[in-house]
Amino acid sequence: MFSEQAAQRAHTLLSPPSTNNATFARVPVSSYTNSSQPFRLGERSFSRQYAHIYATRLLQMRPFLVSRAKQRWGGGVQVKKLCELQPGEKCCVVGTLFKAMPLQPSILREISEEHNLLPQPPRSKYIHPDDELVLEDELQRIRLEGDVDASRLVTGTVLAVLGSARDSGKFVVEDHCFAELAPQKPAPPLDTDRFVLLVSGLGLGGGGGESLLGTQLLVDVVTGQLGDEGEQCSAAHVSRVILAGNLLSHNTQSRDSINKAKYLTKKTQAASVEAVRMLDEILLQLSASVPVDVMPGEFDPTNYTLPQQPLHPCMFPLATAYSTLQLVTNPYQATIDGVRFLGTSGQNVSDIFRYSSMEDHLEILEWTLRVRHISPTAPDTLGCYPFYKTDPFIFLECPHVYFCGNTPEFGSKIFRGPEDQRVLLVAVPDFSTTQTACLVNLRSLACQPISFSGFGAEDEDLGGLGLGP
Amino acid sequence: MADQLYLENIDEFVTDQNKIVTYKWLSYTLGVHVNQAKQMLYDYVERKRKENSGAQLHVTYLVSGSLIQNGHSCHKVAVVREDKLEAVKSKLAVTASIHVYSIQKAMLKDSGPLFNTDYDILKSNLQNCSKFSAIHCAAAVPRASVESSSSEKFEQSNLQVSSETPANNELTTNGHSPPTSKQIFQQPKGIMGMFASKAASKTQDANKETKTETKEVTNVSSTGNKAPGKGNVMSNFFGKAAMNKLKVNLDSEQAVKEEKIVEQPPVSVTEPKLAAPTGLKKSSKKAEPVKMQQKEKKRGKRVELSDDETKETENMKKKRRRIKLPESDSSEDEVIPDSPGDYEAESPSPPPPSPPPEPVPKTEPEPPSVKSSSGEKRKRKRVLKSKTFVDEEGCI
Repeated sequence: MFSEQAAQRAHTLLSPPSTNNATFARVPVSSYTNSSQPFRLGERSFSRQYAHIYATRLLQMRPFLVSRAKQRWGGGVQVKKLCELQPGEKCCVVGTLFKAMPLQPSILREISEEHNLLPQPPRSKYIHPDDELVLEDELQRIRLEGDVDASRLVTGTVLAVLGSARDSGKFVVEDHCFAELAPQKPAPPLDTDRFVLLVSGLGLGGGGGESLLGTQLLVDVVTGQLGDEGEQCSAAHVSRVILAGNLLSHNTQSRDSINKAKYLTKKTQAASVEAVRMLDEILLQLSASVPVDVMPGEFDPTNYTLPQQPLHPCMFPLATAYSTLQLVTNPYQATIDGVRFLGTSGQNVSDIFRYSSMEDHLEILEWTLRVRHISPTAPDTLGCYPFYKTDPFIFLECPHVYFCGNTPEFGSKIFRGPEDQRVLLVAVPDFSTTQTACLVNLRSLACQPISFSGFGAEDEDLGGLGLGP
Repeated sequence: MADQLYLENIDEFVTDQNKIVTYKWLSYTLGVHVNQAKQMLYDYVERKRKENSGAQLHVTYLVSGSLIQNGHSCHKVAVVREDKLEAVKSKLAVTASIHVYSIQKAMLKDSGPLFNTDYDILKSNLQNCSKFSAIHCAAAVPRASVESSSSEKFEQSNLQVSSETPANNELTTNGHSPPTSKQIFQQPKGIMGMFASKAASKTQDANKETKTETKEVTNVSSTGNKAPGKGNVMSNFFGKAAMNKLKVNLDSEQAVKEEKIVEQPPVSVTEPKLAAPTGLKKSSKKAEPVKMQQKEKKRGKRVELSDDETKETENMKKKRRRIKLPESDSSEDEVIPDSPGDYEAESPSPPPPSPPPEPVPKTEPEPPSVKSSSGEKRKRKRVLKSKTFVDEEGCI
C-alpha cells in the first residue's frame, strides 16, 4: 500500500541540510485512452420526446435479459410479451419498471388549482409503503404483485420477471432477475505499483477555510512537495488524478441576483467567478506535475442534464497551458494503463438514494452495476438528454474500476460477477466535508483512503484526525 | 559561509519580521529544493534551542502514516503542533514521514495562517510552481505560445483551446479564435519592434483593451473572423514587403478590428469609437462570410496604406479614422491607390494636399507623438479630435 511503500525509505528530513536532494520522475503514462465519446453531445436538439430513450433502452437490454432468464430459470422458460399473456400461464416477461410514488414531486399537482397545494418541501427520501410497481413493455403495461420488493427498485430499471398473470389483470411475480454484469476483458498485469487518485467535492467557494488547507495538502502530496523522500517517491507513482465533480460548492449557486433589486446587485460578481479562479490555480499546480482529468458535477458551470459536457477551457486560462489537463464529461470512461475506469460525479447514485430504500451509496453503486445501467432513473427524476438512437448509459462492457463521487463517506469493495468479472467499486467521499480522497492501486486493484487534516483550537484530543480515544 | 547564511535568513524572518516560515515559503524565497528547506528549518530549530532554551519558537510538524480505521488501512497526512507530535506518532501504525512544516514566533491557534502564507507565496510564483518540488513530470510542458494546429481543432470540436497567452486571449467564444491567439501574441512582438520607446506595458494595455473590447463584440460571429484576419495581416505587414492590392469594401469593420488588437491609444478614446462602428460592423458583418476574404482585404488595405517601414501608428490612425467615419469609406477607397506613395512622405513632413486630407493630418502629429511617450496620449486625443473636425469638413 501507499503508506508501507512510503515508510520503506529512511527518514532524512529531521537532520541538517544536505546538498543532494532526490528528485523523482513521475511515472510516465504507459497507455491512456479516453472512451467517453458516447457521452459527448454534438448538436443538441430537444424537440424529441423521452419515450424514445425508453424504447431504445428496452430494445438494447432485451437480449441480455432473455439470456440471463434462460440461465436462471432453465432454457425451457417461455419468454413472452405482455400482449401474448394467457391468464394462469407461468412465463417470463421482460420490460421496464415504473414505480408509481405518491410522494414523488409532480409539477402538475403543484400548480393544479383544484388541490390548492403548497409546494412540497424537499425530503431526503420519497418512498412510501403504498408505492406500486408497473411493468411496461413495447405495447402494454401491467401491475406487479408478489415476491418483488418495491422499495428496492426504481423507475427505469429493465428486468425480467417470472410469474403468471391473474384474472384481476395483475401479474403475480415469483422471481425476478436483472441483466447482471456485462462481459469484462481482463486487465493486463502491471509490474510496478501505479496509483490513480480519485477526489471529488473540492467545494471551492464554499467559505470553509479548513477544507482549503486540506486541498493544499492534497496538492502538495501529489506534486511531491510534502512528505519525506519515501512518500515523495510513492507520490511519483501516482500516474493520474481524477477530479470527480463538484469542484465548486453549492454556495456558489445562490440566485440572489435574481431575487434582489437590481440596484443592490449591480456591482456584485457571481460567487462562482472567484471560485473558478481558485480552481484554476489549483489545476495549474496539479497539471504542472501530473495528468489531471476534470469531471463536472452537480454544482459546476456546465449543463444540468446528463451526460454533462466538459467544462469550458476558457475558464482555466492558466491551467490549459499544460496539455496534462483534460476536461472530460460526466459520466467518464477511460482506460488508464490497461485498467478500465468508469465513473460519475454521483448524481445517479444520489437520485436512486432518494427514490429507494437503499441507504449505502456503495450498495447503490453495486446495484446499478448489476442492473447494467448507470442511471436508470434518468430521464424520469434525473435530467437527461433525449437520446433516441442508443442509450449510452447501458454497460456494454464491464469496467475494472467503477466509482461515483460526492458520497457522504468513503467506501470501497471488490465485487465479483457471475462470469468471473472483478470490479473495484469506489465511493469517493465529498472532500469539503471529509477531507478524504481515494488512492487506487492499479496493480492490485485495491483502494486506500488518504485523509488530510490541520489543527484547530478545539482539536484538543486529536478528534479532527479521527485518532481520538 | 553560504551554508550558514540560511540560518541567519531564517532567524531574520522569524524573529525580526515575525513571519510564519513554512517550508514551501522558504523554498521559494531561498530558491532551494523543498526537502532542503525542510532540513534547514529543522537545523535552525535544533541550533536555536541548543543555544537558548528559552527561545520563543513554535514549530508545527507534518506527520503522515497509516492506521487502521473502519477496516481499511487509511493513510493520514496531518499538520500538528509540536506538543501533539508524539501523541499522533504513537497512534499511527506505520509512520511514513515526519518533517518540520513551519516555524513561527507566536503560537498558532489554528492552521488557517499556514494556508495563507503558502497561498501568498504561491500566487507570486504560479508559473514555476513545481520548480523546487521533488517530482518532475516529463509530460507537463506548457504549450507553445503559437499553436495553430490545436486552434484549428477548436473549430471542429468544442474541446481544446489554445489560450497560451492567458491574459490576452479571451476570444474563445467562437470557433474562429485559434489564429487570434497567434496574432495577439505576435502583435506585441511587432509592436515592440515598431516602438522603441514604447514599453511593454502599453502593449499589455492594448491587449487588455483588446480583450475587453473584443468581449463586447464576441457575440458577433464575424468578429472572430476579423481578429485572425487582422492578426495575419499584422504579421504579414511586419514581415513581408509586397502585397496584392485588393479592393477594400468594409474598411471600417476591419479597421475596428485592427484597432482593437493593435492600437495603443487611451481606452476612453477607443471605446466610444468602437461603440459606433460596432453597430455598423454587426450589420455588415453578416455579409462577409469568408475569413480569407477579409484577411486579403485587410492585407490589401495594409499594403496600400503603407509599406513596411511605415510606422504602425500611422496605420492605426488611419484605421481609427476610418472607423470614426465609415461614411468616408468611399473617399478612402479612392484615396487608397494614392496613399502608398504618399505615406512615406507624409510621415516626416506635412502631407501634400492629396486626396486624403484625412491621413495627412493624422500622420502629421504621429511622428512627434510617437517619439514622446509621455505626451502621446494627450497628443493622440488631440489629434483625433481635430481630425474628426477636419474630416467632416473635408467630407462635407
